[in-house]
Amino acid sequence: MKRRTFIRNTALTLAGTVAAPYILPGGRLFAATGARKVNHVVFCLFAGGVRNLESMEKAEGNLMRYLLQGNESISPDIAPGMTPLPPPPATRLQQYGTLYKEFRYASGPTGHYNGHTTAITGRYTDSNIKLKEPPQYPTVFEYYRKHTSPGAGALNAWWISDSLGPYPFLNYSKYDGYGAAYGANMLAPLNLLYNQPNATLGNPLTLTASENERCIAMREFMNGQFKSTVSLPPNGVTNTPQDAEKLRNFLHTLIQEAAGGLPLTAWGVPMNSDMINIYYGIRVLQEFKPELLVINMQAIDIGHFEFTKYINNIRLADFALYKLWEAIQSTPGLANDTVLIVAPEHGRNLAHNSVVDIYGRYALDHTNDEMSRRIFCFIAGPSSVVKQNQTIQQPLGESIDIVPTIANLLGFDTEIPAGMLPGRVLQEAFV
Amino acid sequence: MIYKNKFIYIFWALLAAASCRKEPRYIYVVEQQELYQNAAQKTNLKSTAQFIAIAYNDLFGASITNDELLRYDIALQSVGDKNTMQDMIVRALLNRSGVKQVSNEAMRADIEAFIRQEYLRFYNREPGAYEIWKLKDMIEKNTDITPKMVYYSFMTADEYKYY
Repeated sequence: MKRRTFIRNTALTLAGTVAAPYILPGGRLFAATGARKVNHVVFCLFAGGVRNLESMEKAEGNLMRYLLQGNESISPDIAPGMTPLPPPPATRLQQYGTLYKEFRYASGPTGHYNGHTTAITGRYTDSNIKLKEPPQYPTVFEYYRKHTSPGAGALNAWWISDSLGPYPFLNYSKYDGYGAAYGANMLAPLNLLYNQPNATLGNPLTLTASENERCIAMREFMNGQFKSTVSLPPNGVTNTPQDAEKLRNFLHTLIQEAAGGLPLTAWGVPMNSDMINIYYGIRVLQEFKPELLVINMQAIDIGHFEFTKYINNIRLADFALYKLWEAIQSTPGLANDTVLIVAPEHGRNLAHNSVVDIYGRYALDHTNDEMSRRIFCFIAGPSSVVKQNQTIQQPLGESIDIVPTIANLLGFDTEIPAGMLPGRVLQEAFV
Repeated sequence: MIYKNKFIYIFWALLAAASCRKEPRYIYVVEQQELYQNAAQKTNLKSTAQFIAIAYNDLFGASITNDELLRYDIALQSVGDKNTMQDMIVRALLNRSGVKQVSNEAMRADIEAFIRQEYLRFYNREPGAYEIWKLKDMIEKNTDITPKMVYYSFMTADEYKYY
């Protein structure tokens, strides 16, 4: 064999050997940096402060019949305050995964934003947390987008927030080397769509393709002239022009649909804010099939004032969670390739406050006692990935473990610089 | 009787002094706005509310109502990709009646003056010689470019997002 031919063949063989493992059955040309367990993760913050007494210990009956096995009836004195829901399926979500019944929000103030920030950054916070600026440490979205190879576009990462205030800030941090360039698309659907946006946004200037090209050319020229000697603050997360067009069309569709009002009975029962947020989260999942989506629910926080509504809202959140699971399993591309992680941000106090509802029940705050640190975590997914129908009864796992677990599932955990994440991968949940 | 008349005179004099006070004259003037020397001076990001209030004022020459400002502001806060939502807001505003705009004929009659005027309107600065030449060239060569398209380009470019 000639030397040149030998070298060529050797090089081709070597290239083939290296490249072949990266051509995945799912159609991705390259695998992510590490070994992926699945190609999609949905993390649902079952938030608003859920006490383990009511959720896992069923002190008022099985409030989470779509997730948990059992049909324990609801306490008769508050039963009249419950919204009728369809009967749960024979196979509850619990059977599709691993349930940590004694998870912990181990440190930091038991505030909603603190809890959200911890769950999304994998770092506990303190009372110095800033409400009007991005978090101090990188979010799971930034880790994902920065350390996934090839780089993931912003449409692959979503943060669906139930409200405004500080929560929209959770799509990226101010950490050096991370930030908006690696942030997630954020959507607060209730805020965007509640106030009849069709009246203000529904009739936009339309441009033909060639007119649009002219405008892009003028804008690009102007952008080229806008140079600064200092680093400018980012104007939110940025999509590529093609992705921005997809996003604009999607938002426009939602806005037009909402002209007749929000989908308050889309699931056959009256929907509260949590259900509506999940409804639109599902729309995002179906439209963009993102690799990482984080969504929250917080209507449970009515627990400060009305215990019975707190109980009812846990039930409604459980129903919405089931709808989310159903949507994942019925969406091609997501079915059997998605892990769903569910956890409250924190619990509520053991002792009640002084507010009594019409059923004579006292309300509950959350002020750092031991009970308010006890939460649960549920991880569901394909049986080839997640241990099915497993319940872990003893205290195990913390809020800060969720980000490393997501990183491990999507195969970029080994790329995150050492020391950035103090938590661990929840290995016991996986096959 | 004399005292009574004196009293009446004094009463009327005091009343006249109190009631005929000269109204203070208020003179309202438009505060001189300092123009930017160049784009590089703009290093601060406009807040969501600032962006909307300024955009409305630039297009309609009037202040936006609180109700409308709130609606647009909530829409802008609700989406993480601010550029895309700002684009949607600008398009919606541009399609409303009442936008202060130059006609296509007027723009093409003196493109250079039009460009200078719009740089002052949207960017609060004079354009550089190259900016005038390049935009003029674009407008001249592409006869389908309308003033509204120029406004749209100005308002969705990066410089408009900073002050």
